[in-house]
Amino acid sequence: MSEVKVLTEFYHLPEYQTLAGYKAKGGYETLHKAFKMQPQQIIDEVKASGLRGRGGAGFPTGMKWGFLPKNGEPRYLLCNADEGEPGTFKDRMMMERAPHQLIEGMIISAFAIGSNKGYIYVRGEYVFPIECLNKAIKEAYAAGLLGKNILGSGFDFDLDVYRGAGAYICGEETGMISSLEGLKGQPKLKPPFPAVQGYLRKPTIVNNVETLAAVTYIIKDGAQVYRKHGTEKSAGTKLFSLSGNVMTPGNFEVPLGYPLMDLLMKEGGGMKPGRKLKAVIPGGSSAPVLTAEEVAKANLDYESLAGLGTMLGSGAVIVIDDSQCMVDMLGVLTHFYAHESCGQCTPCREGTGWLNKVLHSILEGRGRLQDIDLLIKVADNMKGKTICALSDAAALPVLSFVTKFRDEFEFYVREGRSKVKGTTYAEMHH
Amino acid sequence: MPKCTINGKEVEVKEGTSIIEAMQQSGDRIAHYCWHPGLSVAGVCRLCVVEIEGNPRVQIACNTMVTEGMKVNNTSEKVKDAVKWGLDFHLINHPLDCPICDQAGECGLQDQYMEYGKYDPEMAEAKVKKHKVVDLGPTVVLDSERCILCSRCVRFTEEVSKTNELGLFNRGDRTEIGTHDGMLLDNKYSLNTVDICPVGALTSKDFRFRQRVWYLKDGDSVCNGCSTGCNIKVYYNKEGLFRIKPVYNEQVNGHWMCDSGRNAYKFVNREARLVKGVVAGKEMAPGAAAKSASEVLKSTSGDALALVLTAQYTVEEYEAIIKTFVEEFKTKKVFFWVNNKETFDTFDGLLSRGDKNPNTKGLLKVMEKYGITSTWADLSAGLANGSIKTVVVAGPENQAVFPDYNERLKELSKAQNLIWMQAGKNDALTALTGNVWIIPMKTFVEKDGTFINFSGLEQKIKKVTNVVSEALTLTEATLLMVGKNLALPTANAAFMPNNQRDDQVTLEARKKNEFVFRRGSL
Repeated sequence: MSEVKVLTEFYHLPEYQTLAGYKAKGGYETLHKAFKMQPQQIIDEVKASGLRGRGGAGFPTGMKWGFLPKNGEPRYLLCNADEGEPGTFKDRMMMERAPHQLIEGMIISAFAIGSNKGYIYVRGEYVFPIECLNKAIKEAYAAGLLGKNILGSGFDFDLDVYRGAGAYICGEETGMISSLEGLKGQPKLKPPFPAVQGYLRKPTIVNNVETLAAVTYIIKDGAQVYRKHGTEKSAGTKLFSLSGNVMTPGNFEVPLGYPLMDLLMKEGGGMKPGRKLKAVIPGGSSAPVLTAEEVAKANLDYESLAGLGTMLGSGAVIVIDDSQCMVDMLGVLTHFYAHESCGQCTPCREGTGWLNKVLHSILEGRGRLQDIDLLIKVADNMKGKTICALSDAAALPVLSFVTKFRDEFEFYVREGRSKVKGTTYAEMHH
Repeated sequence: MPKCTINGKEVEVKEGTSIIEAMQQSGDRIAHYCWHPGLSVAGVCRLCVVEIEGNPRVQIACNTMVTEGMKVNNTSEKVKDAVKWGLDFHLINHPLDCPICDQAGECGLQDQYMEYGKYDPEMAEAKVKKHKVVDLGPTVVLDSERCILCSRCVRFTEEVSKTNELGLFNRGDRTEIGTHDGMLLDNKYSLNTVDICPVGALTSKDFRFRQRVWYLKDGDSVCNGCSTGCNIKVYYNKEGLFRIKPVYNEQVNGHWMCDSGRNAYKFVNREARLVKGVVAGKEMAPGAAAKSASEVLKSTSGDALALVLTAQYTVEEYEAIIKTFVEEFKTKKVFFWVNNKETFDTFDGLLSRGDKNPNTKGLLKVMEKYGITSTWADLSAGLANGSIKTVVVAGPENQAVFPDYNERLKELSKAQNLIWMQAGKNDALTALTGNVWIIPMKTFVEKDGTFINFSGLEQKIKKVTNVVSEALTLTEATLLMVGKNLALPTANAAFMPNNQRDDQVTLEARKKNEFVFRRGSL
């Protein structure tokens, strides 16, 4: 088994970025098909495909669409292209290589849910993807694929790109809605859920780039064809961003259920010469880390990874070899989450900062042995206690790193230097 | 009407009631900061956690609605532990400057920590330093380090005052509240943000560092700043009055009051008050001054006698004086001094009304009862043609809301005899010469009575304290002016609340405060 290119079949073709190149490979043909279907038929097809949100939460897409009120109220479709999770870079490739694929997926999805207005919310740092999207949207408008009465279907859909100011939490759907509304990017309390009350307090569906792109393929070939890939509970293919200590990092599309070790060894080209696999973060930096032994048992699907106490998340697989210091790595992660906490909920606002300080006390040689347990206690009391999942995102790596690699933390506290690298924090970084 | 069980007790609540509201209804205590019944739910302090049967995670009570059959508790070890940690999260970057903090004695963080806190704190790291003494505007100062970011103040400016001056800036533990670029916290209701701040982050420029709250007593009253009649608490001690805060009354003011109403304490304090009566330039006790007016009143009764009333006295006082003038002095020349006529009927949409008197309706009601129909024009004419010889004036308590004061004083001083009753000092008044009686009056915190607000709601006020104990109520002055005697209190009783020893500190807020710890004897 190896890569199965459903979404990414033509990504190697430079012309695929353009409307002509995209159309040459059958682009927008599915849209014609979709307009001949009833919106509910599309929703039913997406439900039947078993497509789960590819942004990280893995919520069933068709079910999410089904939460929209049936009262004909105006509703919005938001594409989540914020992609702030460290290690994740799949959406970037999709927007750069196949912007029309996303646009087509959004038009079909908007038609299905009855939305006439969509936004693609892109993280501010993604300058080139934003250029690609804007160019493609302009082409689509010129070709009558966006705007009024698309392809004579009677359906109107306007689409804009919104450039975020750069905050991790704006990738959380309600944080994104706040940001889009011009407010500080802070998550909102749920309920009400966005499907009921979202952007501008109107029903809103937020889906990831990859999810929306996949909708086209589900409508094109039908749910059953899509379901041929993947497992019973994790249908279809998925893009994985492979990074870290492997020979050939990159984005790879494989069917869900694909063995993690195969991704590392086949697609990733294996470990660097002389190095051994130590651990893998399988679903973006917020996913609990797996040891090398656990990696050997893991498949890339929602249920297998959940069984190992971690998660598929955004599909960002970060590989760690035996040259890496887990204390130092966790220091980087806690610093990131302390920086990115929106500051709204107290356990997250203060807890992320606290974790960061304790970890850096250890890294800088001021740690106490009780600090190791303190890290666990603080993280434990942040988990599940806040409006959004950033607190969990910060806590889970701490819990898994400290629990699974405790010897490295104890050594660091006792010796004031890294067990793996043999050096102090200052020596490691300066 | 869903029924739920809270800590083992069955409670029936209205549809749409949150768990925290249901707990308040059932009398169960629950830790919380960001929730405020007058504001939207923020759900950010994460302290009001409860365990709901069938739910593996603790939930916040402020954003979870009660459903039929729900079983809730906040007494389990799981909840207690979550609250303890929640408080520690609040405290890790909060300075321990309670000895110099203006909120000490009223601090929600102190109080809640006493009740729910984690007495074995584990934070050993340096605290995040934030801005101190931030001047937010004309009325409020911010100490950012003490702020626990409950966002109550931000929500207040968004939802209640709708002025949107405040916001949350920065991220993570560097988050601070502040004013948006180019803005000041400068609205008519700004001091409510101080009231709802559960810690010492927002302090009132007017009150800060002037008194420790445990040296203050308090009493309930009704604001006399305008015809809304906000329910208030007045804080005072032997040195005088120090502040006024709103008291919740759903029918009248909800949770709030305006900043100008809070200033009412200033004209009550002794330095702003008339203390001695003056008769023809000679100082005497207020009671003696009033009694000395009885002869001239008797001699000029009938149409030669006029009474001018401002709407700042109680219904009972109006009843006493109007009845006396109509029945004893045989005159119906009673006139309503309407201040700021042009803006009298305005309303800002929240609380503040253009009628800056607490009892216009009360005055009109009593005037109607005695068939008073006189107009100011009649008075002006009577003074001009000399038919009105003696004028008795119940002047304003709050002179600041009488922009025509000097003009009226000048007009009324044309009378042969002018008997002027008033609470506050006024240079133009004391500079008058001739047959002028000046009689010091009590203020609204020094007497019992009734105010009728703009909507016709009758509200009783009770005496809170004596500031100028020798001053008179309008009723007392009336009796003396008729020639009767009164047993007047002496100056020794000043600042004593009713039936209370002066060594008793009864800060009502502390007794009723939702945060206060019920601990055993030490």
